[in-house]
Amino acid sequence: MSMLLKRPPARIAIGLVVPVLILFWWQAQSQAGGARALAFVPLGSVATAFAELAGSGQLLDDALATLSRAVTGLLLGGIAGVTLGVVMATSRLVDRLVGPLYHAIRQVPLLGWLPLIGLWLGNGDGAKLLIVSLAAFYPTVLNSYEGITHVEKRYLDVGRIYGFTSVQRFRLILLPAALPLILTGVTQALAFAWIATIGTEILLGSGSGLGAAMGLAQAQQRMDVILVAILVTALLGFTLNDLFARLRGHLLRWQGASA
Amino acid sequence: MTAQSRISPTPPPAAPRSASGALTISSLSKSFTIDGKPLPVLDGIDLTLRPGEFVSIVGASGCGKSTLLRLIVGLDTDYSGEIRLDGQRIATTSLDRGIVFQDHRLFPWMTLEENVGLALLNTDIPKDRRAQIVADHIALVNLSGFEKAYPHQLSGGMAQRAAIARALVTEPKLLLLDEPLGALDALTRVHVQKELQRIWMAQRSTMLMVTHDVEEALYLGDRVIVMSPNPGRIRRIVEVDLPHPRDRSSPVLHRLRDEILTELTGAPDPANLVRFPGTEER
Repeated sequence: MSMLLKRPPARIAIGLVVPVLILFWWQAQSQAGGARALAFVPLGSVATAFAELAGSGQLLDDALATLSRAVTGLLLGGIAGVTLGVVMATSRLVDRLVGPLYHAIRQVPLLGWLPLIGLWLGNGDGAKLLIVSLAAFYPTVLNSYEGITHVEKRYLDVGRIYGFTSVQRFRLILLPAALPLILTGVTQALAFAWIATIGTEILLGSGSGLGAAMGLAQAQQRMDVILVAILVTALLGFTLNDLFARLRGHLLRWQGASA
Repeated sequence: MTAQSRISPTPPPAAPRSASGALTISSLSKSFTIDGKPLPVLDGIDLTLRPGEFVSIVGASGCGKSTLLRLIVGLDTDYSGEIRLDGQRIATTSLDRGIVFQDHRLFPWMTLEENVGLALLNTDIPKDRRAQIVADHIALVNLSGFEKAYPHQLSGGMAQRAAIARALVTEPKLLLLDEPLGALDALTRVHVQKELQRIWMAQRSTMLMVTHDVEEALYLGDRVIVMSPNPGRIRRIVEVDLPHPRDRSSPVLHRLRDEILTELTGAPDPANLVRFPGTEER
């Protein structure tokens, strides 16, 4: 059995069992009549809504808007986060200077910033991007900092023995040794950025995006459209995560099977 | 090379390789500070290694063997006394002195050839020759074919041989070995010991090896230094007057082993002997 599950087709098939069961249950609920039909839209109308949204190009626009917002925010926040984490870990002065501020600010949930950011930047793309970037920023700072500060001294000794310059020390020892934790931070950042993207789109409710589509559909009481947006969000998020896991596996191929 | 030395009126500054690698340690002492109190770990060490000599150090745990190697390699410069290599006082790490640790310390994120090659980064060996030198040293430790392997793909013995290749690739005048085979299983250990002897006979750089294993010390060493602990002092120096490569079963080695083991465990003190009921002296 466990051998069988290692084969990709079998693995995909078994992953589909529970979703298909849920679909059957859903469909049964939708046909039960009464108030239930309102809460459980028949799968047929969800499919119709999908065809309608996909045909008009609306769905593609929304998906692309959300995707580009999440990826841009991840890049901006991630690069800033890794940079700050690494600098804090290598410079005691910077650590003392901004460390306490960082640890205090990250206690404030992202939603807590929303009113303030709304006042500063309005409810447009700038505000959304800032929140998504912040979501990616926090976990990358923390994990990069931990990664660099926990590099084993025995590896640094090797660098001293072979006369490494500080650039060599950073590029050949500190950075690769910290990479597993840095990438753990980016994995978290990806999840947070995706959630923050959908969340801000719903809450700020302007422009395009899957979250904005959900918000609008809620106002119009279009349960079928909400479901389409949810399904696309889930699939896109899953794909992003999977792609990143592959990239991570490639970058950390030196860790072997145990990783 | 010869033509150039004939033209040049002064002899070349660097002594020929065979005549370098002389280590002189004089009245070396070292203490750590624990809870504000000095704790001596090495006391009055005097030792001279001839160029190309293989010297083993044995001793109980806590006799400062590893500390001694850290001082010689230059990772720790806080000591009193003097350590000189070919007359030069040791102030920091240098490519003249290589070291192999008990853990191989290969970088897990680099392939075998990258790990060996990193030792050459700061040498003045031209870049286009480095790949060949790395390949030669990988061949020297019998790891050809594993150039692209990551450390996790190597066995313990292979990784330790790779660490030896990395230490040798800069052709250090002095190679320090800090229990290099301590983490290997008995069979691999015997195999790498043979390998080490073959490499030393091919390279003839001065080598100083710390070990727990008296047989290993005798099998490889021209001399064996016996150290006593708390603080670490040289207790005895044993000359092993046998040609290399050696035969492990040589009666001379066995006799010396017994002598050194007695020395290390100390002559039995009658007061410490366990007395069983009925065997008491009357």
